[in-house]
Amino acid sequence: MSIQHGFQRLVLLGSAGYQRAELPLDDSVSLVAPNNAGKTSLINALQFLLIINQKRMDFGAHEWDKTRRFYFPDNSAYILLEVSLPESGTLVLGCVGKGVGHEYEYFVYAGSLDVEDFRLEDGSLVAQPQLSEHMAARKRLVHTYSSSDFTDLLYGRRRSGRGHAPDFRVFRLENAQDAEVYQKVLTRTLRLDRLTSGEVKNYLLQIFKRDQPDAGINFKNEWENAFKDVNLARAYYQAALNQQQTIDELEQRQEERLSLRGKVVAQRPGIDEVLQHWENHYQTRHQALTRQQSELEQTLGELQNHHGELRVQREKLSGQIEALAQQGRRQAELEQHFALINARGELEQRWEEARRARDEQLTLVNNLNGRELATIDRDIADNHRQQKDIQRELATLHDNLYQALAAVLEPAQLERLNRALSEQVMTLPSQRFELDKQSLREWLEQGDERLDLPGLILELNELEGVFSQRSEQELRQRLTELEQQAQRLADQREAGQAMARTKQDLESREKALKAIERDLEVWDEMARLQAGASEREQALTEARQAQERTEKELSGFQQRFQGLNREIAETAEAVRELERQYEQIDRLRHQRPDQREPLLSLAEQSHHSWLAESAVTLESLAEVFERYQQDCRRILELDRLIHQTLVELRSGGLTKHQNCGSEEEEVGRIVDFRHQLSKEAESLERMARSAVVTVTSSLRDLHGGLLSFEKRISEFNRLIGRRQLSDLETFRISPKRQLGLVWAIEKLVDTAETVSSGESFEIFSQGSVLDDQDLDWARRILVEEGDARSGLRVGDLFQLQFVVGKKGAEPESFDDIDSAASNGTVLMAKLVTGLAMLYQMQDQRHGVRAVCYLDEALALDADNQRSLIDAASEFGFSLIFASPAPLTTARYCVPIQERDGFNHISRRSWQILESLEEAAE
Amino acid sequence: MSEPVDLEKLPRLSELFRFFSAGKHLNRVSEPVLWAELEAQQSAYEALFSALGYELRVDARGFAWFQTQESSSAVNRVTRHLALLFMTLFDYQADAGLPLVQFEQWVIDHRLLDTVHEHHQEVLEAEELDRHALTGIMERAVNYGFAMNDNGAWRLLPAVHRYVEHFEELAAQVDSSEDWLLDTTQTQEPTDAGEGTES
Repeated sequence: MSIQHGFQRLVLLGSAGYQRAELPLDDSVSLVAPNNAGKTSLINALQFLLIINQKRMDFGAHEWDKTRRFYFPDNSAYILLEVSLPESGTLVLGCVGKGVGHEYEYFVYAGSLDVEDFRLEDGSLVAQPQLSEHMAARKRLVHTYSSSDFTDLLYGRRRSGRGHAPDFRVFRLENAQDAEVYQKVLTRTLRLDRLTSGEVKNYLLQIFKRDQPDAGINFKNEWENAFKDVNLARAYYQAALNQQQTIDELEQRQEERLSLRGKVVAQRPGIDEVLQHWENHYQTRHQALTRQQSELEQTLGELQNHHGELRVQREKLSGQIEALAQQGRRQAELEQHFALINARGELEQRWEEARRARDEQLTLVNNLNGRELATIDRDIADNHRQQKDIQRELATLHDNLYQALAAVLEPAQLERLNRALSEQVMTLPSQRFELDKQSLREWLEQGDERLDLPGLILELNELEGVFSQRSEQELRQRLTELEQQAQRLADQREAGQAMARTKQDLESREKALKAIERDLEVWDEMARLQAGASEREQALTEARQAQERTEKELSGFQQRFQGLNREIAETAEAVRELERQYEQIDRLRHQRPDQREPLLSLAEQSHHSWLAESAVTLESLAEVFERYQQDCRRILELDRLIHQTLVELRSGGLTKHQNCGSEEEEVGRIVDFRHQLSKEAESLERMARSAVVTVTSSLRDLHGGLLSFEKRISEFNRLIGRRQLSDLETFRISPKRQLGLVWAIEKLVDTAETVSSGESFEIFSQGSVLDDQDLDWARRILVEEGDARSGLRVGDLFQLQFVVGKKGAEPESFDDIDSAASNGTVLMAKLVTGLAMLYQMQDQRHGVRAVCYLDEALALDADNQRSLIDAASEFGFSLIFASPAPLTTARYCVPIQERDGFNHISRRSWQILESLEEAAE
Repeated sequence: MSEPVDLEKLPRLSELFRFFSAGKHLNRVSEPVLWAELEAQQSAYEALFSALGYELRVDARGFAWFQTQESSSAVNRVTRHLALLFMTLFDYQADAGLPLVQFEQWVIDHRLLDTVHEHHQEVLEAEELDRHALTGIMERAVNYGFAMNDNGAWRLLPAVHRYVEHFEELAAQVDSSEDWLLDTTQTQEPTDAGEGTES
């Protein structure tokens, strides 16, 4: 057996249930033992020496503490590995328990592994504390190491720097950084049957990681970082775009403010100066106007007086003319009236005749009215009595004795009583009454003023007796008078009838007389009128002339009045205006916002020069001052509006220039920005394109990593394709691209290349980078994928598939290696893949033979076993088969024996198998 | 014996189960978080769902679904309509020179549907599918995970590969039947019996 550099033997002493185990590692081994006898435990012990890092060791479901206790039950439990290295020769790498807490320690010494070196004289194993001394006695210089130092030295990360410490760089890797993944793969080679497709992918990625970006790409962060400024700029641009109208309003207001400032600055000195002269001007002017007004009013008054006089005169003349005219008309009327009468005498004669006729008639009437006094007196007395009777009767009209008697007596009875109480009773002759004077006196003695009748009591006071006994002579005389009266009355009656006619005649004669008297008067009047006709005519003419003059004079007054009134009104208006101006200026003077900030220092603020006329006169001061104050207030309002607009614009997103100076400057910059929007859009586009280029640089790396990996896999496939795997004609590993992801990356990378190639303007004329739908879709895919996986890596861009094809059959792709073929074929594939990965990592200049382990090897037929052995050997590994029955294809056949409850593998129990052909050689 | 499943490592188990049991296809492109979770614990999810009687199929092209043997008549109708729509769509796009393998990059908007309907009106209306129905079918496609909405249009998801493969199978069957026809015609060359001369 030729000694190849590499693992030679594995020895366990008092560890993993083995009292002693020696296992050859320099060639293929068939490790024979029933299931669960400790085969895997034996091989797994190698992890302590080869993997070292507890986190990378794999003991299946066993907990670490239990594992440690299992392998290092006490401080004389050893795991030893004899290796042969090209530069260092034979070395023993060891791991010994420390007892306490089942910790363990690493050591190395030069020289071959002799189990007896670890025995004490009593046959027991040397304990860890005494190991160095014990081995020194045997001329073995033991060097102890911490696990990290041991790892570094084992994997060649550094050379041994301590004195005579041996160099035990077993695993010389192309790149020292591959140590971790080498350890992982190596761990898996100890249980190759459990190698999974996912592990193959991960290991390959780690093996070829130098061609890939160092870390996963956080595309979202990259995009956001690259587009941060773009997004900010775009947000600002959009804010300006959306608020163009508001910005235009801002600009207008700013322009207005600048103009007004200039105007106020220009006008203020003039106003101040004029204000100083105002009071004096006002007083002077006011006096003048007032004086003028009163003079005008006086003139007006005089004019009005004169006008009144003229009017009176006109009235008088009118009356006079009318009177004269009337006289003329009267004269004409009278002349016509007396057209048939030639002289006054005719009227006088008529009057005389009428008077006589009237007098005659008057006498007649008077005669008809003559009567004697006595008769008249009696008529008067009789008249008075009759009046009294009637008055009394009226007073008792509704409540008198007659009515009371009528109510209680029969009409016949009432009539009897009425007749009894009549004044005719006293004239009853004697044959018509009976008198009982005694009874009557007695009766009349009673009652005084009362008269008691049966059933009737009468009060007699205030009643007058209606009968008085007169003598016969008196009665005769009275009767004669009455007869005469009757005659006279008859005459009077007759005369009375004639009286009416007589009176009528008298009246007519009176009328006639009066008519003639009137005619006489009128005749005299006519005479007077005729006498004064010429004078009257002349007077009339004069009056008319005077009237005409008066009218003429009066007609001019209207205009003069109007003129004077207008002047007075104007003057009054001027006074009022002046007073109004005074009040106005006084009010304005006491409310001067330009006397305090911010208007006080307006000249220092930016403003446009005021080019229009700004001179102020005393006459225009009020108006100018009012406008000036309005301008000042407008400036303040504009300050407020502009500030408000700025707040609105800022809340709408225009915040870039917020802290770049004063608000004034901010306004200017915003307005300038608004005018540069189209250029800003172009600039934004350029920024976006530049950002795309920036953000895709990492994607380009990622894509490059994918291409590189695919190339590497292609090379790897050549490596694993060298071996015939069972009946497979085809076996290769194929990285199947995740098309969606790769498309997204290529989309962005291509866009970046297009952008940077200078063709961009034509391509993007239809829309901007920021609005490209496919680009955005690609971005979304990458961002969401990166978020889901905390970054994008090359490994995310493909799925590893195993392409397997039997002879004569089409190759098929399998995601899972275990389902790709039969058990034996899969095992081969796993072995080849795993060993190829290790081979890939090793420095081929310093090949060191290692081991790999395959459990359940009986599942493989002999051809496959041989093939596996050869394949492993080709890759620099000795294959250890584990099975309940020995396999003749291996070089060594090593049974595990049990003794006293412990497993035991002795060197003496090794069986070396050699084919007859080899033996013949 | 299979390894025990640690439910603590399957935080999105119920979410995934609801997703799949609703008949939806999970697509990496549209649900990257769920997909990453499924990918990381694929074997565990497969084992767990299998224990529950569900067959989880995971396609390395980035989609997964519950494979069912039976389906209701309504689902069959939907499937049929989807197949018809996709077939007409693919047919149109192929005629337009677009590579079918890049169907995930197509933007399916209303204008495209109008054109597809116009070109395949007879076939579609034989199935009583008017233009409005096509929009409904696309929405159903979204529900089942064959498409997703994107700014008022749709994009097809990798799950559509299932229909593409089906179409390819059908096309292959047609090709093979044509080949058979060719073979049979070739083998049936008229024998030279000396008879049968033309009169």
